[in-house]
Amino acid sequence: MNPLFGRNGRRVLALITGIADLSAPEMDQVTNAWKQAPSGERAAAWAWLVRTATEQERYQILTAASLARREALAAAHRLCRADWAFWAAASDAAAAVAAGARIGHHYDILTAPFAAVMPALVLNATLTADHSAHVAADGQAGPAAYQEGA
Amino acid sequence: MKSRLGALPEAFPDAIVVVDSRGRIIRANARAASLFGFGEHEMSGLPIQTLFPDQRLISAGGRTARRDRAGRHLELVGSRRDSSLFPAVVAVMSAQIDRRTAVVMSIRDLTEAQRTQFMLRRGLQMLASEGWDCRALLRQLIQAREEDRARIAVDIHDDVIQTMSAASLRLQRLRLRLTDEAALQILAELQEAITLSLGHLRQLIFDLRPPDLEAGSLSVAVRGYLEQMHADSGIAYQLNDLLSGRAPESTAMLIYRNVRESLANVRQHARASNVAVELRDLEHGCLVRVVDDGVGYDPADVEDRPGHLGLLLIKERAELAGGWCRIESSPGDGTTVEFWVPFGESSTEPDTRHERAG
Repeated sequence: MNPLFGRNGRRVLALITGIADLSAPEMDQVTNAWKQAPSGERAAAWAWLVRTATEQERYQILTAASLARREALAAAHRLCRADWAFWAAASDAAAAVAAGARIGHHYDILTAPFAAVMPALVLNATLTADHSAHVAADGQAGPAAYQEGA
Repeated sequence: MKSRLGALPEAFPDAIVVVDSRGRIIRANARAASLFGFGEHEMSGLPIQTLFPDQRLISAGGRTARRDRAGRHLELVGSRRDSSLFPAVVAVMSAQIDRRTAVVMSIRDLTEAQRTQFMLRRGLQMLASEGWDCRALLRQLIQAREEDRARIAVDIHDDVIQTMSAASLRLQRLRLRLTDEAALQILAELQEAITLSLGHLRQLIFDLRPPDLEAGSLSVAVRGYLEQMHADSGIAYQLNDLLSGRAPESTAMLIYRNVRESLANVRQHARASNVAVELRDLEHGCLVRVVDDGVGYDPADVEDRPGHLGLLLIKERAELAGGWCRIESSPGDGTTVEFWVPFGESSTEPDTRHERAG
C-alpha cells in the first residue's frame, strides 16, 4: 500500500518512471492513439472511475493522474513535443492503473494509448473479462482482482 | 581451499562468507569481518549460526535449508560480535571447491536501505497528509467564497439598493421644489449617477446569484453570461445544451461558477474569436466542455507560476464535488476545459426550458 497512490502504487510508480524512457516516436504514437480514441468513452470512463471510488481512493487516483501528467509534460518538453494529448494520455493511464481492474473495461479505454508502447499496462485478459462481467451484472465495481498483493 | 578461491572474495563489494558442508566458515572477506565486528582471520572455523543465530541456513548436506521462490535470496537477521542485530539480505549459492561442496554467502546489510525506505514512507505519508490538508483548506475557501457571495448579494439587495432607491425618490421630490436651472442640472446629474449605480449593483447581484440559476435554468444563466461576454469583447459563442433535466441547484451553481471562471480566462488571456460551451448528461452527472480557439499556453510555464488561482479553483471545485477536471492547452492550440460533476441529488425534475444551442 502506497500512501500516495494506494494499493496499486508500485504499478503507478512503474508507469510514471517509464514515461521518461519513451522515445519521440513512442510519444507520437501515444498522442495519435489518444486523439483517435472517442472522447465520450474516455469521459464516461473517468466519470465511472471517480464515481465508484471512495474519497480516499479518488484522492489517490487524482494524485497519480496529476503526477503522471507532470512527468509526461516534462518528458514531452525534453523531446520538443508540445501536444497536450500526450500528457492527457499519461494522466488517463495513471488514473486507471491506480484504480486497478475494479473499473473493468474502463481500464482498457484509459490505458490503451499508453499500453501501445508499455505492454505491461495490459491486464490479464481473463481478469479483465471477469471484471467486465461482474461490472455488467452489478452495475457496480466488483472486488479488485488485479491489485498488488491481491 | 583458500588457494583455489584466491583473492576472489575480496573483489566483491558485499560481505562474502564461504561455509563448508558442516556449516563452518572456511573463508570470509574483509568486508564480512568488518560487518560482523571480527578481525580479518577470526571468522574461520566459526559456525554460521554465530552470524545468523536461530536461523537454519544450511542442511547437513550443505544445501540451503531456506529458500525464497528463486532459491537464492534470504532475508535474515545478522548478529554482530557485540550481539547487536541488523537486517540482512543473503544470497546463497552452492559451489564445488576442491571437489567438496561448499556454500558461498553474499551478505548485504539492509539497515541503511530500511532506514531510507522508512524515511521515504514517512515522507510519502506526510505528503499525502499535507495533500489532504491542502484539499480541506481549498474546500473551506470555496465554501467561504460561496457564503460571502450569498451574503454580499443579500446585503446589496436589502441595504445598499434600498437606501439608494430611497435617495433617488427623495431627489425626485426635491426636483419638484427647485426652480433654479443650475440646481436642476446638478440634480439631474445626481439622479443619473444614482440610476447608473443602481444598474451596476443589480448586475453585481446577478453575477453573485444569477436569478436564472435560482429559477433552475443553468443553460439560461450560462447563455446570459455568454451574451454579456459577446457584447463586451466580441467573442462569438456556441452553446450546446444537451442536458435532459435540471441539475440540482448546488450542482448547477458549481457548473455555472466553473463555466464563468473558464470564460473569464478566455476573455482575459486567450485572445480567442470563438468559444464553444457544451453541457451534457453523463454517468449520473454533467459533463461540461469549454473550448476556445485562442493562443493557448504552455502548461509547464503557466502552472509553475503563482497567481493562477482561477484554474486551480475550477479543478478543485469539480474534484471536491466528487468529479474530475481536465484543463489542457498548447501554444497556438486554444484551451480546453473539461469537467464532470455528479448530480448530488435527484435530478428527475422535467425540464420545461426550450433553450438550445445558440
